[in-house]
Amino acid sequence: MSANDTLNRVLGALGDHVLKMEHPSERRVYLEIAPETVYEASSVMFREICARLMIATGIDTPGGIEVLYHWALDGDDCVVTVRTLVSREKPVLESIAKLCPAAEWIEREIWELLGVEFEGHPDLRHLLLDDNWPTGDYPLRRSHG
Amino acid sequence: MNYAINTLTRSLNVFHLAGSACNNCDIEILDALTPKYDLERFGVTLVGSIRHADVLLLSGVFNRKSAVRMKEVLAQAPKPYLVIAIGGCPATGLMFKDSYNCDGPPSEYIAIDAFIPGCPPKPEAMISGLVKIIEALRSGALVPGCMARPEQEASYVCQ
Repeated sequence: MSANDTLNRVLGALGDHVLKMEHPSERRVYLEIAPETVYEASSVMFREICARLMIATGIDTPGGIEVLYHWALDGDDCVVTVRTLVSREKPVLESIAKLCPAAEWIEREIWELLGVEFEGHPDLRHLLLDDNWPTGDYPLRRSHG
Repeated sequence: MNYAINTLTRSLNVFHLAGSACNNCDIEILDALTPKYDLERFGVTLVGSIRHADVLLLSGVFNRKSAVRMKEVLAQAPKPYLVIAIGGCPATGLMFKDSYNCDGPPSEYIAIDAFIPGCPPKPEAMISGLVKIIEALRSGALVPGCMARPEQEASYVCQ
């Protein structure tokens, strides 16, 4: 399947969820979505496109906290990154761990290091940091001393 | 030479505890033990439990989470034992010393008997270090930390 066919298949399935698209190379696509639609979009990527969740990443940007879900389309040699921006004041996203168990640990990590709350996560506790780590202190935020 | 020192200068059972090390020290430790350098011919063997060990070999900087586990392991070590730090990490913390997840290198909160520096140290350095440790023990220049500072032992037991 050509790169364009892949892209059209993904865009067709995600439909109106996509707010913005970047297509820097044939095998790399970035799709921006609203934070409220993360679960639905992930469900489409996982169930309809049958993509594999490679990893999720988070970064504290000047505009807020960005969470990126990197989906591999192995058969098409393509990586689709679905990204969303949440506010630093109230960073809440719906957990996709119940849909895709591979996301469970990385959501725990993003929660403890960047302070993004994942609603509906089955087991949201510390992964890398000590259990006694103070709440509200997120080491990968820009404000961390 | 008393009985305790005598046992520590003969064939040593080594328990290797890697505290999120980058693996280079771990590779060199295996290199020192396996046939090319063959420390095993002197009876230095790896064991699977600290309860069977004479030596606790540390590599890496222990983070806030693993440091607690390390102290628990140390509390289970049969006395007398030696703690040997392999590489620069357990001695100084290297680039991790100011990390948010690091409470300082292990040398700051446990009694380490010998440091074998290097990043990573070569197997030759480990063999040389071991010879020096055994000589120092026999001459009385080195007293194992577990015997010299028994009061510190109690602090290893975690709540």
